[in-house]
Amino acid sequence: MRREPAWRIFASEYNDSTFELKGTGEKSPSYVITPLGGKVNRLFVTGVLTDVENVSEGGEYLRAHISDPTGVYTLYSGQFQPDATNQLSNIEVPAFVAVVGKSRTYVPEEGTLYVSIRPELVREVDAEARDRWIIETCWQTKNRIEAMIEAMKMDQPNAYDLRKLGYSKDLSHGIVAALKNYGKVDVSKYVTLVSESLQYIAPGKEKFEDIQHEEKIELAEQKKIKKEEKKKEKTDEDSEDTEKLVLETIKKLQGKEGAPWDSIVEKCKEKGLDENSIDEALNSLMDKGFIFEPVLGTIKTT
Amino acid sequence: MTNDDIQRFIDDILEALSDNAENEVSREELEKELKKFLEYGVPIDHAKQTLVKKFGGRLAPGPSERTLVVDLVPNQNSVNLLCRVITVNPREVTVKGDTRTIFYGILGDESGTVPFTAWKDFQIEKGDVVQISNAYTKEWQGDTKVNLGDRTRIEKTEESELPESNLEPKEYKIKDLKSGLGAVEVTARILEVNKRDVEVNGQKKNVFSGTIGDETGKAQYTSWHDFGLKEGDVVKISGGYVKSWKGIPQLTFDERATLDKIESNKISKKDITTRKLLLHELVERRGAIDVEVEGTVVRIRPGSGLVERCPECNRVVQNNECTIHGKVKGIADLRIKLDIDDGMGTVSGIIGKEITEKLIGKTHEELKKIVDTKDENTVVEEINKALFAHRISLQGNALGDEFGVTIIAKDGKRADIDVQTESEKISREMEELQ
Repeated sequence: MRREPAWRIFASEYNDSTFELKGTGEKSPSYVITPLGGKVNRLFVTGVLTDVENVSEGGEYLRAHISDPTGVYTLYSGQFQPDATNQLSNIEVPAFVAVVGKSRTYVPEEGTLYVSIRPELVREVDAEARDRWIIETCWQTKNRIEAMIEAMKMDQPNAYDLRKLGYSKDLSHGIVAALKNYGKVDVSKYVTLVSESLQYIAPGKEKFEDIQHEEKIELAEQKKIKKEEKKKEKTDEDSEDTEKLVLETIKKLQGKEGAPWDSIVEKCKEKGLDENSIDEALNSLMDKGFIFEPVLGTIKTT
Repeated sequence: MTNDDIQRFIDDILEALSDNAENEVSREELEKELKKFLEYGVPIDHAKQTLVKKFGGRLAPGPSERTLVVDLVPNQNSVNLLCRVITVNPREVTVKGDTRTIFYGILGDESGTVPFTAWKDFQIEKGDVVQISNAYTKEWQGDTKVNLGDRTRIEKTEESELPESNLEPKEYKIKDLKSGLGAVEVTARILEVNKRDVEVNGQKKNVFSGTIGDETGKAQYTSWHDFGLKEGDVVKISGGYVKSWKGIPQLTFDERATLDKIESNKISKKDITTRKLLLHELVERRGAIDVEVEGTVVRIRPGSGLVERCPECNRVVQNNECTIHGKVKGIADLRIKLDIDDGMGTVSGIIGKEITEKLIGKTHEELKKIVDTKDENTVVEEINKALFAHRISLQGNALGDEFGVTIIAKDGKRADIDVQTESEKISREMEELQ
């Protein structure tokens, strides 16, 4: 039996799945069909592990959540996944983790299907690994969106013609199954999802060429842009700088226990930031998973 | 069934017998025999066939027409073909615990060639011209494949029905060569020639094999005839067919093929480069020689790290005990076995010492020192830290089996993406979709 590929699917798309292609034979695998035609038996997920909880009274059966830019994955891990279970119970949350796992479904009643992940492998990773995963997942989602658009153009969407366009065998079959079960798929939702996910990439060092490029565009469009819009653009850039500054401040202040909220605000004010933008930056950093609040009023970096 | 019907069936039978009427048979006699079958409830088609056969005729294959190979598409039922058997080989397979022998090979007619699988022994041989009825087709690795099953009938016919010259060779680039193609024409540079002796039916024969390449990739070849091939020759090979070994396409040809030497600057050595494939492309073609692939490391497999090898056979030994050579003094080595995955395909890699050192940025000696102070798991942990969730690129030969594809790395490098650049690229491309 061939090894199943580990799909990159954002939590939101994965959780939107309501259809499973059941394996027929004894050892033939089952697949969760996602709205964009993912034919998923295995996934590779990287995100913030937010909580781990033992949900079994007797033994050890863990439920864990991993958050990505679009939503939350649910993981269940028990005694038959000793390595994953062991890792999950030892990692201090929140933390960036990468997980390889199998797709699982739960049907509480006919017509309702919930998806989850049964981890095979869990490892703690750094923020760069998370960023690389977001990029990969954006590319893969874009590929599925394009395949779906191509399929919807066909009179009779079929795997044979999709493969001729260069799409993989699994995706081609997944697209056909998705169209059959979900009807017309609203791809615009996922286009937005990809664009929004990119906002979560760590604030990076801009390259000189990039700045030059941006300046050129700005010059060319300056006349067209209304003053108001320009102002807004300015604020966006500012807020990224603010986040960097706030993050730096926290790193300096935090000991083992973390940095008190008040001292952060105070230090940042000294550097010329106003309280509102400091609050905003803290919230945004928390959303992105760079910092967390171990105790109320105390901030720590992940 | 009315008498009119019966008369019509008798007309059919007489028609079928008219080509080859060794035994004169009267209409009355046929009618008597046919009615007898019908009284016993034998289906009319079968009754007709039996009578035609009894009186030495040949029934036109079923109600449907002959299909040309070029017109075959996946998932057709009751296909009738007139073909030449280009190759046929047995293979042992295990179906639900039982071992059985199936036969696979290539069929061809004047329009093209197609791979086939026969689920029982039809006693067909290479070179036979056969009338096939009731075959069916499936999709296999993106192409059509003919299946010959229990309901399929095969009859050998005269070779003259399908002269060999009808198989006009078709031109292919090396990247398009795949198992099951026949009548292939390839223009390629000979990269390597090995000569070996084999025994075929008690006779010694020279076989020439090695690697060929063009600007689209490389493949292996086997020549059963001495064409005087030399390394660096650029040749047009016309009339070969393609088999595969572990998914690697092998262009095979013999004295029936024609070889024309052409100017060697037509394909120069530097035109032939390593082919880059996406992982699912490699998985779907099952194997290839000298390819480069890229993916994220999603698993460091057991057996990675410090190992000891048998000095005789290079196999990995446990506790200085080789499975073949018994007690040996193992030679220390370092390797990684891992899975790389790009979300669409997954491929295993086996990486030797030098490339491992390069990929993880630590030498074998450094790792040995780590083990001296801590335990062996720390080496695996070092490898995980350096590679897990990172992107790498591997180059080498890729072999396929029932579990997937494994690439034996001849080179490898780290290939992490630049997040900022990629992010901007996606943003731009997404705008076009909105």
